[in-house]
Amino acid sequence: LNRDILYKRIISTIGVLLCCIPALLLSESFSSGIPDHLPQKSILKIGFIHTANGKAISLRDSVYKNYFGEQYSVNKLKYYVSNIRLAGKNMGGYYLMNAASENNDFQLSLQPGNYKSLEFLLGVDSLRNCSGAQTGALDPMNDMFWTWNSGYVMFKLEGNSPVSTSDLNRIEHHVGGYKGSNNVATKIRFDFTDDQLLELKAGSTTEILIEANLDHYWHGNSDIKISELPVCTTAGDQAKKIAANFQNIFSIKNIRILP
Amino acid sequence: MASFFIIGASYDDGLGSYAPHPIKLEIPPGWPKPPTNIYANNKLTEEGFLLGRKLFYDGRLSKDGEVSCASCHQQFAAFATFDHDLSHGVHNGFSTRNAPGLFNLAWMTEMHWDGGINHIEIQPLSPITAKNEMGETLDSVLYKIKKDTAYKRMFKAAFGDATINSQRMLKAIAQFTGTLISSNSKYDKVKNGEAVFTPFEEKGYLVFKAKCASCHQEPLFTDNSFRNNGLALNRFADIGRQKITQLSSDSLKFKVPSLRNAQITFPYMHDGSIYSIPQVIDHYRTGIITDQSTLDPLLKNRIPLTNLEKNQLVYFIYTLTDSSFTKNQRFTSGNTGFVTNPGFDKH
Repeated sequence: LNRDILYKRIISTIGVLLCCIPALLLSESFSSGIPDHLPQKSILKIGFIHTANGKAISLRDSVYKNYFGEQYSVNKLKYYVSNIRLAGKNMGGYYLMNAASENNDFQLSLQPGNYKSLEFLLGVDSLRNCSGAQTGALDPMNDMFWTWNSGYVMFKLEGNSPVSTSDLNRIEHHVGGYKGSNNVATKIRFDFTDDQLLELKAGSTTEILIEANLDHYWHGNSDIKISELPVCTTAGDQAKKIAANFQNIFSIKNIRILP
Repeated sequence: MASFFIIGASYDDGLGSYAPHPIKLEIPPGWPKPPTNIYANNKLTEEGFLLGRKLFYDGRLSKDGEVSCASCHQQFAAFATFDHDLSHGVHNGFSTRNAPGLFNLAWMTEMHWDGGINHIEIQPLSPITAKNEMGETLDSVLYKIKKDTAYKRMFKAAFGDATINSQRMLKAIAQFTGTLISSNSKYDKVKNGEAVFTPFEEKGYLVFKAKCASCHQEPLFTDNSFRNNGLALNRFADIGRQKITQLSSDSLKFKVPSLRNAQITFPYMHDGSIYSIPQVIDHYRTGIITDQSTLDPLLKNRIPLTNLEKNQLVYFIYTLTDSSFTKNQRFTSGNTGFVTNPGFDKH
């Protein structure tokens, strides 16, 4: 933003606020007394960590074993998180998680209270897949967009495995597809019980840490053997087979109120 | 309040002002409304159009600096590649499909011969990054154009500040490509009562309506559907639409191209394998391979046409050539300044 626009925004914001005063005077809150201070919001910080075989994933230099005993290493692990819903309200936003980056978290501003569920879409919703050029997390520069058959790669796992039959023993799973039955964007939902409440306190930050455990990537609702499916770079049946395990990858690792 | 705005406006970054001139997508008389509003999230302005035009003609969008969008989409060929079955990419590469003419794209919801592109804004990503076309990365394109002060000025004029990113670049290109409207051929003039067909053209029009119009629907001269028109699987094993939908029922289906400007967009078909219009008609008369399971039902008996009807049809198709489109200075690269009295400025 250049200063020109910033000035205009500030001025117009002041204008809007001035216009709101009569509305505030007439509102119910006035008749019942203006509170001493506006109610404080709370912050929910949602973070992701990536593990396999009980260890944090280390790109390139570590070897893991999947359910079938196949060895593999991970070079890239990227995926979209969007449509976060808390208490039924869609908070919006598109976030790209990337095992190569230090921080995989984002913050939401919410009303304080105890939340019973947290839901997000692993991937990008259909509508946004066909809404033209995007920016930010959805910028095609992030290498998560198919240019020849439009649509986002929802989840990308690249690596190597001695059992991969593809060139250079590559694993290349670019899991995408947004149309009809090929849609692989997957709803991930956590319900909170009294044992593990998602409590947001006014004026403070609650951190929820979600673990993405690749052990569940290969086995669960479907069997993904590297020897049989080293490469998947199109929407369709194979992508759907991989996506069938998405739900089981994620679990709540920890919830805490930050000091 | 007004005084604050004046103070705000006095700040100068040396890149000119932001005072965009809105323009409208002109719908030619008698044409249907476009199926979607391609500019719903992309405010069409003269400044955005001019930026898009500059990008369209800029070789820096390719790896070797030589290939621009306009290299394969030449205005004198209604933005197809003139007289080429396939087009040349960087490093002497070749495309594997025939470059289609670019016009009336606002009525097209799926781009490319296989319909793989779902929005006009993102179409350029495909040729820019394809190794056999422009062979470049988006990072590198943006790196190059960010160094050009003229672009900084034009991005500011179009979008309000000098930020250059992929989204803005793509939206600007769409402002150019989406407003390339060809609607002033002899056929259109006849429809508008400004010209009359010769008796031979008139006969050709009747042949067209009887034998061709179910796929090449007026006034766009395409229904934008995907059909197998009975060509053989080519040397690139190009299965067309099936590659996008993964459905075997879509094997060998390709988009029905518009017949507008067909006279100047030869060679024809998705792979440019048929050189002339008479040869295309011969394909429909006698060449269709009829034992293909996905062959369009309308073509199962081929299209019977006499030699006379064939010639009449050719002359009718020639009436779809729009020379005011291919010569429209507004769509030409040389103009870098503001175009006065622009054709689409109807506000």
